[in-house]
Amino acid sequence: MAEIRLKNLAHSYNPAHQTEQDYALKPLDLTWEDGKTYALLGPSGCGKTTMLNIISGLVKPSEGQLLFDGQDVTSAPTSKRNIAQVFQFPVIYNTMSVAQNLAFPLVCRKYSDKDIKFQVDKVADLLDLTEYLPMAAKKLTADQKQLISLGRGLVREDVNAILLDEPLTVIDPQMKFELRRKLREINKRSGITMVLVTHDQNEAMTFADEVVVMQDGRVMQSGTPEILFEQPQNTFVGYFIGSPPMNFLPLKNDNGILTCDHTGFSQKMDKLPSKDQYSLGIRPEYLKITEQQNASFGIAKIIQIDDIGIDGIITLSFEDGPHIKLKTRDHKSLHLNGIVGLSMPPNKSLIYQNNNLISSNI
Amino acid sequence: MFRFYKILKHLCLLLWSAFVVFPFLWSLSTSFKDANAITGGATYIPWLEYAPSMQGWASLFTDNEQGINIAGPFVDSALVTILASLVSLILGTLAAYGLSRFEYRMGFIKNSDITFFFISQRIMPPIVLAIPFFLMLKQLDLLDTVAGLVLVYTALLMPIAVWVMIDFFNGIPKELDEMAMIDGCSPIEAFFRVVLPNSIPGLVVAGMFCVIFGWNDFFFAFTLTFTQTQLLPVAIVSLNSSVTPWWSLSAFALISIAPLVVIAFIVEKFMSKGSLSGAIR
Amino acid sequence: MLSLKNISIEHPKTPLFNISYNFEAGKFYCILGRTGAGKTEILRALMGLEQLSNGEITLDDENISNRVIWKRNMALVYQQFINYPHLNVLDNVIFPLLRQKIKKSVARQKAISMLELVGLSELADRKPSQLSGGQQQRVALARALVKDARILMMDEPLVNLDYKLREQLREEFPKLIHQSPDSVILYTTTEPKEAMQLADELLIIDNGQIAGHGKPHDLFENPPNLAVAKVISDPPISFVKGHIENGKLIGSDGTILQQSGLQHIANGEVQVGLRPDALSLGGELTSRVVLTEINGSETIVHLNFSFGQAVMLLDGIHMFEADQKINVSLDTNTIMLFSLDGQNITKESN
Repeated sequence: MAEIRLKNLAHSYNPAHQTEQDYALKPLDLTWEDGKTYALLGPSGCGKTTMLNIISGLVKPSEGQLLFDGQDVTSAPTSKRNIAQVFQFPVIYNTMSVAQNLAFPLVCRKYSDKDIKFQVDKVADLLDLTEYLPMAAKKLTADQKQLISLGRGLVREDVNAILLDEPLTVIDPQMKFELRRKLREINKRSGITMVLVTHDQNEAMTFADEVVVMQDGRVMQSGTPEILFEQPQNTFVGYFIGSPPMNFLPLKNDNGILTCDHTGFSQKMDKLPSKDQYSLGIRPEYLKITEQQNASFGIAKIIQIDDIGIDGIITLSFEDGPHIKLKTRDHKSLHLNGIVGLSMPPNKSLIYQNNNLISSNI
Repeated sequence: MFRFYKILKHLCLLLWSAFVVFPFLWSLSTSFKDANAITGGATYIPWLEYAPSMQGWASLFTDNEQGINIAGPFVDSALVTILASLVSLILGTLAAYGLSRFEYRMGFIKNSDITFFFISQRIMPPIVLAIPFFLMLKQLDLLDTVAGLVLVYTALLMPIAVWVMIDFFNGIPKELDEMAMIDGCSPIEAFFRVVLPNSIPGLVVAGMFCVIFGWNDFFFAFTLTFTQTQLLPVAIVSLNSSVTPWWSLSAFALISIAPLVVIAFIVEKFMSKGSLSGAIR
Repeated sequence: MLSLKNISIEHPKTPLFNISYNFEAGKFYCILGRTGAGKTEILRALMGLEQLSNGEITLDDENISNRVIWKRNMALVYQQFINYPHLNVLDNVIFPLLRQKIKKSVARQKAISMLELVGLSELADRKPSQLSGGQQQRVALARALVKDARILMMDEPLVNLDYKLREQLREEFPKLIHQSPDSVILYTTTEPKEAMQLADELLIIDNGQIAGHGKPHDLFENPPNLAVAKVISDPPISFVKGHIENGKLIGSDGTILQQSGLQHIANGEVQVGLRPDALSLGGELTSRVVLTEINGSETIVHLNFSFGQAVMLLDGIHMFEADQKINVSLDTNTIMLFSLDGQNITKESN
């Protein structure tokens, strides 16, 4: 078990890298504490797989260092890093039983039979797979197979971290929920650092203590799910975290006073260069529907109601103006084409200058 | 340490390449030697170690004691190989597609059994087939003819085509044919309009195997021909009279492998252009 | 109208049993179920890719059960991105039109305008392998839409795409599909939220049978049976054992979950479904926190009660330590009761 430090790390697949464009992973500096859960979140091609490959040792970074507990492992081969990996598709040995599958890494390392049995039993207990041990591995369901892939990493006592590369992709939503919970429990009970790579914000947010949001090889923001949701540092994080994404409304800069059409929003701020772009970020979850006369954030027409079960997603349109989305549990009382008032807690409105957060908690 | 392994690795590779290329170089130098040079021990560098002579190459086009005219066997070999390969490829591809996509059942015989029947043709030692083939061709009055050889070679090459193509078709998602049918193609149309255009890499590989095996076969060419028809491998051996004319033999051998070398280069160019890779994701 | 009458399929893994349903043109039908429940087989049966062992399929009262695939005029979007690798994007979209014997110039025009609709005009010359996953799936969609098929099927079309791309295409789909009001649209998915959002009518498939059908919201509020209840909600509904005693609902450990109002249910064992939003903070029920998951502005709390495990969905962000004791209350209006054979018996039958 170890703390993982990515020190001034950067990588380019092009050996003659010169411009920033050449970098698949732009310089970054992150420290991951021992025993916590982390998620690398971003769209495909954002560099998260490159980062994972650097940690596991498949790719040697062109710049910077990788430290496990302060020890430089940048050039160490994969086999010396004691990293366990779980991939998108369960990797199991079909010809073996569950117990043999779990024992395999130890057999390869020439452990004694007694030690193997001890470790396998321990891990099977952790994964709740004890009753399945004598079964043929190929008879298990997809989520159980995924647990075995994980278990093969866990049986080694010297594991520094477990890397999970989109492990829930092939799992049904109902089972995904269970498996996710199981992974968290395993992390809590074993105390091994886990790093999850995913494009699914729900997965990342529910799994990780800290989420690293990436785009175009750059870390856009790293923080707890709460911080990412409440204070996205830029419009990309605001868009990428949250479903539906954060609403962005254009702001007009009138000599230091920012105003938003249709909503009555206005805010005085110092030192605002007039050439910059300003926008107002509003989470659909915080926007509320009120009586028209109590509206503090303008009046809008309901143009779409999407019922997704417990919640409803309401799309509203300001008169001749932009669309805005709102999430509520009271969607059953709303009607299409109804005109409603909107209100917004002022401390949840975020102001962005050229797509970067400049003010929160106004 | 790492450097040492790298050097060792390269050394091994170098040794192996020398081992593989040496016979070729030996033939090349021998084809330019005369009787004196050949008996004068192992020499490799022309002009310096031996006087080059065109005797071997000249003998390829004379029809006398000194050698056999290569033109006849070359044409026969080319005819037999190309025709047999074409027929094998066409029939083999169709058979492979059927076996890959449809389910056949005749009593206990299933797809996998039919595939095995094809492959089993190549498992048997050729000698087992030689006598039946001989008798059959005799009955058909096709012994010692190009047509007879085409028939026999087709039987020998088709398993290769089927084998390669089944594997290739299995790699093309079945959904692709289904999509074509949903889009309004009959199964035959789906095969010609969608599957075949995406199978060119497989066809090239299968065709190459057929040509190589067909061109190089000695055994059946030897047992099923006498005087009228003669294929290259047999012609080479027939050069070997009381005194072995090493010079003619070498030149002959080099000419007979030339078409394969040319094909190999063309295919390699084709492959490196990337026109074969990435056809199917 | 498309009708399935008692269709069955003998499939070694996912057979279908006596599926009957009428699909109307112009509506968006979602088929929701777990992997292997038989969703794809229904589509394959309609296509003619799967042999019916029983029953018939009629389209506008014409029996098409034995019609060959290539004459059914249906369109399908697979979950894998299936396009013709040897053709460029434009030719991919033209392909089905040419099979319908449409003149090449006309087909070309149609394909170009369809590519515009799905936002791929600029990539018309590319080969599918040069496109991203989302773009490839758009090509497949364009090819399916362009032929004005009577039946348009989509088999988990978004499952292999990134989360945000899914969100975006989910918004676009209804708009694109309204281009063809004469088509029956069938869409399979494993995601309850996706099904709820897209469907005009929802079908739940379980073990090769239709477990329930109706308006999405009705099924969500009042699932007819356990099979529907198990797939309709995300986060899922929690189930605990309980029994009815003189109109009261009592948990397996003796906790009274509902005081009264259940006189219409006979005494005996029942399965109790607790929706994640049925539980809220503050109340008489004591529980132990197993795990807290934060999801945007919501918190999913896994709780251990003396009568079983349940999941609570809270608005806002709350952090609870594992093993922390918290008190919660249960909204008895949303409790669902199922008989041991899985039927919903919550409501009084009229």
